[in-house]
Amino acid sequence: MDKPVITGNTIAIPSDVEHLADVDLFIEGILRGWEVDESRIADIAISVSELVNNAICHGNKSTRDKKVSATIDREGSLVVINVTDEGTGFSPENIENPIADDNLMKEVGRGIFIVQSLMDSVDFELTSTGSKVTIKKDI
Amino acid sequence: MKLSSKEQAGVVILEPKGKIMGGPDASLLHDKLHECIDSSQNQIIIDLAQVDWMNSTGLGILISSYTTLRNNGGHLKLANVTDKIKSLLTITKLVSVFEAFDSVDEAVASFK
Repeated sequence: MDKPVITGNTIAIPSDVEHLADVDLFIEGILRGWEVDESRIADIAISVSELVNNAICHGNKSTRDKKVSATIDREGSLVVINVTDEGTGFSPENIENPIADDNLMKEVGRGIFIVQSLMDSVDFELTSTGSKVTIKKDI
Repeated sequence: MKLSSKEQAGVVILEPKGKIMGGPDASLLHDKLHECIDSSQNQIIIDLAQVDWMNSTGLGILISSYTTLRNNGGHLKLANVTDKIKSLLTITKLVSVFEAFDSVDEAVASFK
């Protein structure tokens, strides 16, 4: 794929960080349509940007012809978002604690920690085609 | 993200606007900060008044610039930190790293 494709409540992008803004526009647009308050929209948008960035850079190793998808749904008062890539997954338990004194000044390594702090739940799954992260937030 | 800059009392003030999430926007801020550092302008304020939010990429740029400036005898300070970014700095404990001021004028005065 060479450009973002929107199908219903899913956006798929090539693995290039230049498309982060396309995903943000899509997700924030849907959340505003659901009249979610701006603070929660920001929390969700930050989290999605972290997950999509990770999927592009770490999951798909920035290989443009591999895609990253984000799907947004509602389950009652919960917003549920899945971010998938075509990578081989990772173990969240292997991520170093970014607020430990030794790691505080590191330039990277905070993404998942931020997502876990902002969302009500975060689940990681390895599928037959790549990895999938599901986040949920009560709106 | 858009980025403008100005100078006040010998201090460079960078004014990003929008969201700092990675990709081209993050490169813009990173490159501008390092352009200032390379030209020995080592007293820098980032005015965050018009930044909707930033993610870990934005925080990484702030840390990189803070460290580079400090190693060159300079300082990076923040002004007009919004509640959303303040919350992110608190979550990540970076609130203890960055000096933050309620206005650009206060931040500029702190360099004297």
